[in-house]
Amino acid sequence: MPVLKFHSIEEMNAAPLYAVPGNAFDRFVRHCSRYRSIAPRHYPRGVFKFRTILEAQRARASWGDRLLNLEIS
Amino acid sequence: MERDELLRVLREFESEGLEYVLIGATAMGFQGLIRATEDVDLLMKATPENVRRLRRAFRASYGEDPTIDEIREADLLGDYPVVRYYPPSGDLFFDIMTRLGEVASFDTVEAEVKEVEGIRVKVATPAALYRLKKDTMRPLDRQDAAALRERFNLKDD
Repeated sequence: MPVLKFHSIEEMNAAPLYAVPGNAFDRFVRHCSRYRSIAPRHYPRGVFKFRTILEAQRARASWGDRLLNLEIS
Repeated sequence: MERDELLRVLREFESEGLEYVLIGATAMGFQGLIRATEDVDLLMKATPENVRRLRRAFRASYGEDPTIDEIREADLLGDYPVVRYYPPSGDLFFDIMTRLGEVASFDTVEAEVKEVEGIRVKVATPAALYRLKKDTMRPLDRQDAAALRERFNLKDD
């Protein structure tokens, strides 16, 4: 089922996801590799400690913004 | 994400007997729901011995990176239940958690074992992932929750 055709975006969005047969782990890793090659990031190395998940997520977002600014400037 | 690097670390986790469960996007990937991520989210049992196992597994995976010693029992079992480790090489990093607020702990997250290249990996079930993500503030988690619900035909409790 490599090609699917739809009359509208709504019909496309409502269609069930087409699951490619094969190893999910390998597909996942390939997908992440593609993402990294398109949008490479270089985070600081080492160990960082947080009191909550939210704090960890904010730190990551802030590093991401800083990196993005560096790439743009 | 480097396939060999991730497999090497997961192999060391198993070899050291680390008590953990994968959550987050990496767990979703194991469950066949695939989106890109840069990190491996790890919920681990909060015991001193388990933290020592984690350090040994990272040392075996990343050589003698001295920063691994900064992953301490006192932190993970105390005021810092979330520790992020960026290895000196490679392109993935680890979010290591011993508590998820009041939401869940290692003992309460429903998990199953997946096998990849002979390595046994403990992964949160789709229903457990959905419960972890559905009520969080982050938009990405809400998107994940919606995708999990649709893909696995999940219902709210």
